[in-house]
Amino acid sequence: MRIPPSASLLFIALGAVCARAGALTDHDLTQRFETKVRPLVNTYCTDCHSGKKPKGDLDLTQYQDLASVVDDYSEWAVALEKIASHDMPSEKAKKFPTDDEREELMAWIRDVRVAEARKHAGDPGVVLARRLNNAEYNYTIRDLTGVDLQPAREFPVDPANPMGFDNTGESLAMSPTLLNKYLQAARSVADCLVLKPHGIAFAPHPMLVETDRDKYCIDEIVSFYHRQPTDYADYFYAAWRYQHRAAAGQPHATLSEVAAATKVSPKYLATVWQLLDDAKEDVGPGAKLRTRWRALPATGSEAEIRAECAKLRDWVMDLRAKLEPRFPNITGVSGIPATAEPFLMWKNRQYATHRRTFDPDALQIGGKAKPVLIAMAKPKTSVAAADAVEEDAPSEAAPKRQGGDPDLFVPERNPDRYLAAFAHFCSVFPDAFYVQERGRNYLDKTKDKGRLLSAGFHNVMGYFRDDQPLSELVLDEKGRQELDSLWEDLDFVAAATKRTYVQFVFNESADAREIAKRAAERDVTKESQVRATMAAYLAKAQASHSAVAQQAIETHFTTVNATLRSIERARTEAEPQQLEAALAFAARAYRRPLTEAERADLVGFYRQTRQATGLGHEDAMRDLIVAILMSPDFCYRLDLSTGAGAVTMGAGGIPVQPLSDEALASRLSFFLWSSVPDAELAACARRGELHQPAVLMAQARRMLADPRSRALALEFGGNWLDFRRLEELNTVDRERFPTFTNALREAMFEEPVRLLSDVFSQNRSVLDLIYGHDTFVNAPLARHYGMPEPAGDAWVHVTDADRYDRGGLLPMAAFLTKNAPGLRTSPVKRGYWVVKRVLGEFIPPPPAAVPELPRDEAKTELPLRDMLARHRSEKSCAACHARFDSLGLVFEGYGPVGERRQVDLAGRPVDAHATFPHDVASGEGLAGLRDYIRGHRENDFVDNLCRKLLAYALNRSLILPDDATIDDMRSKLAANGYRFQTLVDCIVTSPQFLNRRAGAAPADSLVDAGDGR
Amino acid sequence: MIPPHDPFEAYQYRMSRRRFLQGVGVTMALPWLESLPVWGQSTPSAASVAAATEAAASTGGAAAAGIASPFPKRFAVLFMGNGINGNHWWAKGSGADLRLGKSLEPLAPIKSKINVINGLFNKPAVGIGIHPGQTGQLLSGSAIQRGATIRAGITIDQVIANHVGQETVQPSLVLACEQPMTGYHETNFSMAYSSHISWQSADSPVPNEVYPALAFDSLFENRGALRNQSVLDRVMDRAKTLSRQVSAADKGKIDEYLTSVREVEKRVERMRAEQTTAEEKAKDKGRYIFSMDRPANGLPEDLRDHTRLMCDIVALAFQTDKTRVASLLLARDLSSLYYPFLGVKEGHHSASHNDLSDGYEKISRFHLSQMAYLAQKLDAMPEGDGTVLDHSCLMFLSNMWSGWKHDNMKIPVVLAGGLGGTLQTGRALDYLHAGDDNRKLCSLYLALMDRVGVKLDHFGDADERLANL
Repeated sequence: MRIPPSASLLFIALGAVCARAGALTDHDLTQRFETKVRPLVNTYCTDCHSGKKPKGDLDLTQYQDLASVVDDYSEWAVALEKIASHDMPSEKAKKFPTDDEREELMAWIRDVRVAEARKHAGDPGVVLARRLNNAEYNYTIRDLTGVDLQPAREFPVDPANPMGFDNTGESLAMSPTLLNKYLQAARSVADCLVLKPHGIAFAPHPMLVETDRDKYCIDEIVSFYHRQPTDYADYFYAAWRYQHRAAAGQPHATLSEVAAATKVSPKYLATVWQLLDDAKEDVGPGAKLRTRWRALPATGSEAEIRAECAKLRDWVMDLRAKLEPRFPNITGVSGIPATAEPFLMWKNRQYATHRRTFDPDALQIGGKAKPVLIAMAKPKTSVAAADAVEEDAPSEAAPKRQGGDPDLFVPERNPDRYLAAFAHFCSVFPDAFYVQERGRNYLDKTKDKGRLLSAGFHNVMGYFRDDQPLSELVLDEKGRQELDSLWEDLDFVAAATKRTYVQFVFNESADAREIAKRAAERDVTKESQVRATMAAYLAKAQASHSAVAQQAIETHFTTVNATLRSIERARTEAEPQQLEAALAFAARAYRRPLTEAERADLVGFYRQTRQATGLGHEDAMRDLIVAILMSPDFCYRLDLSTGAGAVTMGAGGIPVQPLSDEALASRLSFFLWSSVPDAELAACARRGELHQPAVLMAQARRMLADPRSRALALEFGGNWLDFRRLEELNTVDRERFPTFTNALREAMFEEPVRLLSDVFSQNRSVLDLIYGHDTFVNAPLARHYGMPEPAGDAWVHVTDADRYDRGGLLPMAAFLTKNAPGLRTSPVKRGYWVVKRVLGEFIPPPPAAVPELPRDEAKTELPLRDMLARHRSEKSCAACHARFDSLGLVFEGYGPVGERRQVDLAGRPVDAHATFPHDVASGEGLAGLRDYIRGHRENDFVDNLCRKLLAYALNRSLILPDDATIDDMRSKLAANGYRFQTLVDCIVTSPQFLNRRAGAAPADSLVDAGDGR
Repeated sequence: MIPPHDPFEAYQYRMSRRRFLQGVGVTMALPWLESLPVWGQSTPSAASVAAATEAAASTGGAAAAGIASPFPKRFAVLFMGNGINGNHWWAKGSGADLRLGKSLEPLAPIKSKINVINGLFNKPAVGIGIHPGQTGQLLSGSAIQRGATIRAGITIDQVIANHVGQETVQPSLVLACEQPMTGYHETNFSMAYSSHISWQSADSPVPNEVYPALAFDSLFENRGALRNQSVLDRVMDRAKTLSRQVSAADKGKIDEYLTSVREVEKRVERMRAEQTTAEEKAKDKGRYIFSMDRPANGLPEDLRDHTRLMCDIVALAFQTDKTRVASLLLARDLSSLYYPFLGVKEGHHSASHNDLSDGYEKISRFHLSQMAYLAQKLDAMPEGDGTVLDHSCLMFLSNMWSGWKHDNMKIPVVLAGGLGGTLQTGRALDYLHAGDDNRKLCSLYLALMDRVGVKLDHFGDADERLANL
């Protein structure tokens, strides 16, 4: 049995150390044991605690010397607590010790602990090799692959150690069944592998079928487009900000600074600014725009100015649509339809390369009224007999605007100035920065929505890149390269051109088919075959005397062939780079550099897989990823001696070895992030700087501020406060509590995570967790709490939560609901949760036969508090219930799902008044409980938090020598305004965290501190 | 030019030639394993089941011995896109008097073991657009989504595979004789819907295996297991090394890992070993064995070779219980297959627009004859008192009736095999006038899934079993 000492008692004990530091030798303790302690024990205790059936399974006659007590200290820790609380000797005893005797006994037990802790001070303890737990596995895969795949979601739940944490070798076991799941998980990750031209990446979904590959590449490109600032209104606004920089108190702001502040492209802002600022050009649309833009008020709210800028944007886009040049279909080639891929691609290219030009025919020059087309024409698909090139005629249905359009009007006299102005305007404002979807009749943009990056082919696949204005005007060099490489991926990863061409051969082109028959596709895409197909097409174009068609065909096939060939080359050249990337992946997965032997081993595995199983490069790469993820170097956390410092003999003869910087980095990142080190932390370790306390603490601070530290709130907090599995909570009767929805349950779970995260990452006082008047809510939770609802999905920080009887951890709906059995509240469970989880008090489990309270509070005759009072009147129950019932009764103002209430379910007014244990205080509701904790239990809370956090960080249960670190944490915490970072600083610079035990451990130092609560 | 000859023969000749032409790869002849317990092999009771089976066989059948049929039930779908020739696709009468239209004649030798079902339709596939809109939900009855986001539903074969697939080397075989297409159809549905008939989840089709050699390997060289084995070997070596390097305390944890790896590896090995033993045993008994060599790498040049090889692989997989679920896409929707050996000039899709032509009848009959071939192959494999076919169900269907009208108000369905005595055969069933609620394709699926032991309340748009099946 692992039973802890009361934290308060320990606190006293540690205080006593200084006073009597000199006296705690083994000799003195042995002497006191022989002369005082054993006689007292024999007088008052062994009547019951001895013999065949000793009470409480504790035979005190077995302790013959100091060593035997040390070995079994956890039993003595319980004894200390029982003696202190006068639970022992029990009421049935015949004799009772005097107060002095009681104190003598207690002092000795405490002194043994202190002596033992000092003797082995700095002992790192035994930290077993531990496999990644499920949460760590998921976070680690997320950080290794860049996608949150959650491969461990189907793993069985991890067991927790006696301290309540599921991150220790003590509790984390491996079994064949679990190993099989590891294998499946590793495969599922490897299925997402993407082989890129210069390395590897992972997709958020399997990359096994062509649809998946297309989807991946297209998503990457389209989301790149969406990330670019391409709204003209934003640029007009930014230019306005620059124009009026002095008025805004920033006379020295540069255009680039304004661009950065308004999140627009500095390059394009300069272009737009130049047009808006250039007074020389005084005619045409640019001049009109300038006039309107200059008319914007010099002062005004951002929203007002932005609204005006949006109007300017609409005007520009409207005008631009009227000026878009149009290009005809290629028709009239006998035997090749206008919709043939080479012709459609030609047309696509015409549009793509003319987006910064305009159609002069759209202008109205001089006095003649010229009809202006305002809707898009349908492309004409009929084949004209004679002319090789045919204009798209406006369709009958398209509405026309009769008469002049002032924006398109050009005076007859000196039209060149105007034409130049239109040219300039259209070059600055392209008709589109990029085209992300295109239907079959793509001039009619209302149809065929959702065909992302489509080339507009009929029925068959085909993609077309149309983003020249974006590249030219908005992107910088880095952005251009990124976009180029994303488009290269579409060919490299998804083989888009190749597959399009194969489908073209087999589906569209009769000519190609005659050449290809049912040959394997690799033959179809051979250069000779592509050339032969081109020749067949060219012959028809020549026969019809169409130069445009010939040019279109030549360009198309030449481009296709060039792409096919370059991808073939790139694929071969990429293989070594991809293999190297997999090795880098392994080093990150193993949290350390690979040795030469390991590199050779992994490469050997890859080669052998290709040779022995006859797999291709891609499959062998996938297997290599599986092998890495199945390696114990990845899925176990081992503190290997490799690279560690010299072994020294620590206190008590324990050999101690400093961790290598890499191992330290891994420990730190699993502590704060439940995941692998990031690049910066790894670099720090590689430079050998991490063991310097200042560097270590700086890294810890950086990591706590990082969003990944949410894992600490969730994994540490969730286990500490026992809400990790709230999503499985199904005790609530949803018919009686229809407001309890899944969304509310998720919000309840999220609330403590948000608050803990805020305290951790903002370095707030840990006491805010108890006394704080703030919390975090989203709409469902705000509704539940009666607070104003935030808009949409937002979570907001509520700083005046006390107005709604919330604030801090204690009144959170998650805990109130979890600790209520459905149709009533449970002061017992709620109080027990507070004393056990928050204050760290040990309460023994209840006896087997306890009377049950009714299930439904609406059907009881007495209020729950009265029934509990009756329960406490039974002696066997009273001892424990007196320790926590009152801490639950204060929550009676909160119903079974944590809702505020005035009456209970039976309609009786609730009473949230309570007299706290040992009658030291009484109080009402949340405020009463807080006052009680502040006055009497704050040390318990702080001590408990220190112990829990240290145990979580060290991945083991605490041992007696950890007391010194706990003491250090508490005193520094008090000295630093209880800031959370203080705890982390203490832990990461503690000898336990920095070192490992070297060699075999001496048996006596395995004594645990009995912190198994 | 391919000389005119009977398209349904000439296969033997090619096969024998292929045997000399095969490239890499191991020549493996796999026997048929009648009562050997390849199923349930990883359960401790495998031996007792085998004993019971042998006992039952000697005392006159499983039923007489009072045990449930130990033979696994198999399910296969064969699909051709774009409909059939409606003039020649019919069946009348029942039992020995069952008469078959010209296109169904290839099934005549086993007509007592088939059901020709007329008049079923898949309502979710009606009226949303031709081709992909008529195909993406054929085996699931779910709604499908237009545009860039693919959304369909899990199909009957994969539902069954999820239930029974864990007991076999491969949960299912998903084969195709034609490469998939991507891109968009004019109805704005993705071509993925036309190219895949088996879907493992709402947004992901099962990858089609078009290469016979790879399909063969996946089953008979147990490639998945081999690959895992080589990973596990490596992991075990590493764990052994580590175990020697770490402290005594950590050694316990690493050894726990090592033991788990060893256990999993043993399972893989046991599976392979039992397979070998079973093969030896069958050989010793001198039983009839259907075997095939590993097909050559690459795509067969002749479609007839391709379809036959795929059927052989399914037959072999069912015979040796390497899988119990298969789907074979013979020609996809909007197929661009060519049939010079049938004397048809147009490609499949174009030909289907003239669906009542002789040419399209030949195309329909060619694909149906693949089902007939597979069914006969399975029927030649004795298993207990019956044959493998008797314990199986092959389902042939298309996505529409008439390719000219793109009409899918009824679709052609033919079943072969009795599913272990649970499905009566030798019938022509007509549901055309039973009312739309009583002629749902998904009702047929529910009824079939019942018979392979997968009981669902709903599937697709159906919550009732097909009546009178």
